[in-house]
Amino acid sequence: MSDIQITDVNKMPNLRVFYEKTGRAKYISHLDINRCMQRALRRAEIPVWYTEGFNPHPYTTFALPLSLGYESLCETMDLRITRVMSCEEISQRLNNTLPEGLTVKKTALQKFKPEKIKQAFYHIRLNFADCPPEAALEHLLEFDKNSSILVMKRTKKGMKEIDIRPDVSLHSLYVENSLLNLKLFCASGIEKNINPTLYLDAFTQAAELEIQAVHVLRTAVLMENGQPFE
Amino acid sequence: MPNKQISEKLDQILMQVQKPAHYTGGELGSIVKNPEEVDVRFAFCFPDLYEVGMSHLGMKILYSLKNARPDVWCERVFAPERDMERLMRENDIPLYGLESFDPIRDFDMIGFTLQYELSFTSVLNMLDLAGLPVKASERPNLSPLVIAGGPCACNPEPLCDFIDLFILGEGEEVNLELIDLYKIAKKEGWPKEKFLRQACRIEGIYVPSLYDVSYFPDGIIQNITPKEGAPARVRKRIIQDFDRVFYPSSFVVPYTDIVHDRAIIEVLRGCIRGCRFCQAGFIYRPLREKNVDTLCRNGRDLCASTGYDEISLSSLSTSDHSQVEKLLTQMVQWTDEKKINLSLPSLRVDNFSQELLDTVSKVRKSGLTFAPEAGTQRMRDVINKNVSEEEIFNTCRTAFEGGYTAVKLYFMMGLPTETMEDVEGIVDLAQRIVDFYYSLPSRQKGKGVTVTVSCACFVPKPFTPFQFEPQDTWEMLREKQNHMLSCLKSKKIRLNWHDADTSFLEGVLARGDRRLGEVLYRAWKKGCRLDSWGNHFHMDWWKEAMDECGLDPAFYANRKRGYSETMPWDHLDFAVSKDFLIRENQKAHNNQTTPNCRQQCAGCGANQLVGGRCFE
Repeated sequence: MSDIQITDVNKMPNLRVFYEKTGRAKYISHLDINRCMQRALRRAEIPVWYTEGFNPHPYTTFALPLSLGYESLCETMDLRITRVMSCEEISQRLNNTLPEGLTVKKTALQKFKPEKIKQAFYHIRLNFADCPPEAALEHLLEFDKNSSILVMKRTKKGMKEIDIRPDVSLHSLYVENSLLNLKLFCASGIEKNINPTLYLDAFTQAAELEIQAVHVLRTAVLMENGQPFE
Repeated sequence: MPNKQISEKLDQILMQVQKPAHYTGGELGSIVKNPEEVDVRFAFCFPDLYEVGMSHLGMKILYSLKNARPDVWCERVFAPERDMERLMRENDIPLYGLESFDPIRDFDMIGFTLQYELSFTSVLNMLDLAGLPVKASERPNLSPLVIAGGPCACNPEPLCDFIDLFILGEGEEVNLELIDLYKIAKKEGWPKEKFLRQACRIEGIYVPSLYDVSYFPDGIIQNITPKEGAPARVRKRIIQDFDRVFYPSSFVVPYTDIVHDRAIIEVLRGCIRGCRFCQAGFIYRPLREKNVDTLCRNGRDLCASTGYDEISLSSLSTSDHSQVEKLLTQMVQWTDEKKINLSLPSLRVDNFSQELLDTVSKVRKSGLTFAPEAGTQRMRDVINKNVSEEEIFNTCRTAFEGGYTAVKLYFMMGLPTETMEDVEGIVDLAQRIVDFYYSLPSRQKGKGVTVTVSCACFVPKPFTPFQFEPQDTWEMLREKQNHMLSCLKSKKIRLNWHDADTSFLEGVLARGDRRLGEVLYRAWKKGCRLDSWGNHFHMDWWKEAMDECGLDPAFYANRKRGYSETMPWDHLDFAVSKDFLIRENQKAHNNQTTPNCRQQCAGCGANQLVGGRCFE
């Protein structure tokens, strides 16, 4: 329920704000989102809990950073408040002051820890420089049959080759409005975090195609067994 | 809805540039109007990158001021980085306004703010990116009218080929008067020439095409002749009642990091000090300040609307506000409660009190920055920086005892009459501050001190007593820099300095004449833009351009001017008289100081702008 009334001031619960990041807002980097949200919390006069350090600032955390340029329907910001305010009111106040492209869908109690996140679901639309989407679709079906997909991934110890086959699964594939559409599950979370572009890059390299434009939309963040992260 | 054609094209390229959020607009506080419902569309252009331009207070003021009028829509435009410029050109994306994404070539007015000389080539480049001819003579139509203002408009002569008219002085009133005249002209279909002839009658409007400049064979100006009824001298504008001037209650809040990302309140305009090197200290005269209540209200409004957690007090010298203690006490009351940081960038060494320090350090303890400007007392007297050694050390004592362990000192080298002894004096002063720290029993135990010396190369500027002086040559500056290095013994002192090349070019353009228009054009054609960025600066291209035009940069930078010489800006009137500047120049050469304006009026002439008396 989104309008839980908080009555016990001494036991301030941890809240989770669910929001969308779409349109021009996709160009706001993860680091900048943090600052942007902190300012919104100030403007909205949400009684958010401040860190008590050298430089006090509203305490917020964001699960599963979204890559620059991606849109999302399922972003979350965790925070604590210091005085009673209904979830409904928090959502409303934030929406009154958030810039274009950032919209709070609901605020609720945190049900699960971010460590529970296991995968994310993406809807990708793209086209190619010299290949009609119908042909690209065939190429992709062929590509997805591979039993291993080796990619170079940046790790703390430098570039490393990994096999992302077990971490990516293609859910659906179709052509719409001259764009190739694919829906993809990618392993996500603190243990393993696979960006869908790794899969796309491996595909374009294998099929010798050049991407002209690509839109990535994250549509769900999921836990074990495909249960939504709440 | 933003222009669809451009936004779709942008969507294809933005992920290829380093900082896409610089080009997308849509920030909180940006103002979107229906183009059908406005009469005048204004493109406010800052000829530098987003992160610099978005930090600029003047732009924030004029953006809000214009947009407060229902008949005007003002948008922001910044210079793109090279990566973005390349993609814009490759994909036929003309320079657009960040609010509408409409091409600015279709706007009514395009206004540039000229904050520093090294942004001049970016003005040309932005006009070109807009798809407009850069030369004013090749833009026959009334719109878009290309105008410019800001401090460098006090000598705009190098830009005369490109700009239709300049605004001199403070813009809050004259911008609106100009827009009113433009509305009539647009409605009645005036040709551009008629509009310019009318506009030059507004005080503060300088139309360069209405003046002929002739030169002696040696390149010195012979005559500046007005024509078609233009005034012989154009006087700058000021706001009489500064306390009641328009001030924004909201800023555009950027997503990305910009240079100064905070709320700003403008404490005062003008300066009473009269430091002889400082152009701002003369061209913004006389001093006017805002009341404490007004300032607190401005600050509260801004923090509430933007969500900023830091507020900066902007002025040339905040501690010269007649009620600075009261101001800070009142400010701290609400900034503390709201957990807002207060930053005071412009404090003077001589009146930095314990109370002031306490107030500042209540909020945050970082480094302290002071500007003694010169290393010896003689040199400080020459430049009229009325700060004594005793005051510097008193301030350091206050700071060190208050727990500060880092001090940053600003100096200049290449000042008029400077000797090697004065240069040594800079390092010597820094060394004695280090020694002083360790001599204090009350210093923070177990902590070392860092004294950072930041040394700029002095550039003589118009409307200062040093406008007659030769700038040090590159070789002289290099020699002085090397000498400073050889004097340096302590590891507690860090030395930084400005690049002598960019200072030299700045010197050429600052006191340049109209003949430099062709140099600017050629330098830009060769690829010069964003010259203030070390990674984009190409001195060789500038030298080639000067050569091709048969001009010698030393004529502009390194030549001593006679008092009777006609300066390229002598027809512009910034209310400080040339006689006063000459008197101050003579006093400088005699190591004589001038008291500040509150102590004694020095008769600069700026009092005429406020009815004869600057102070109650």
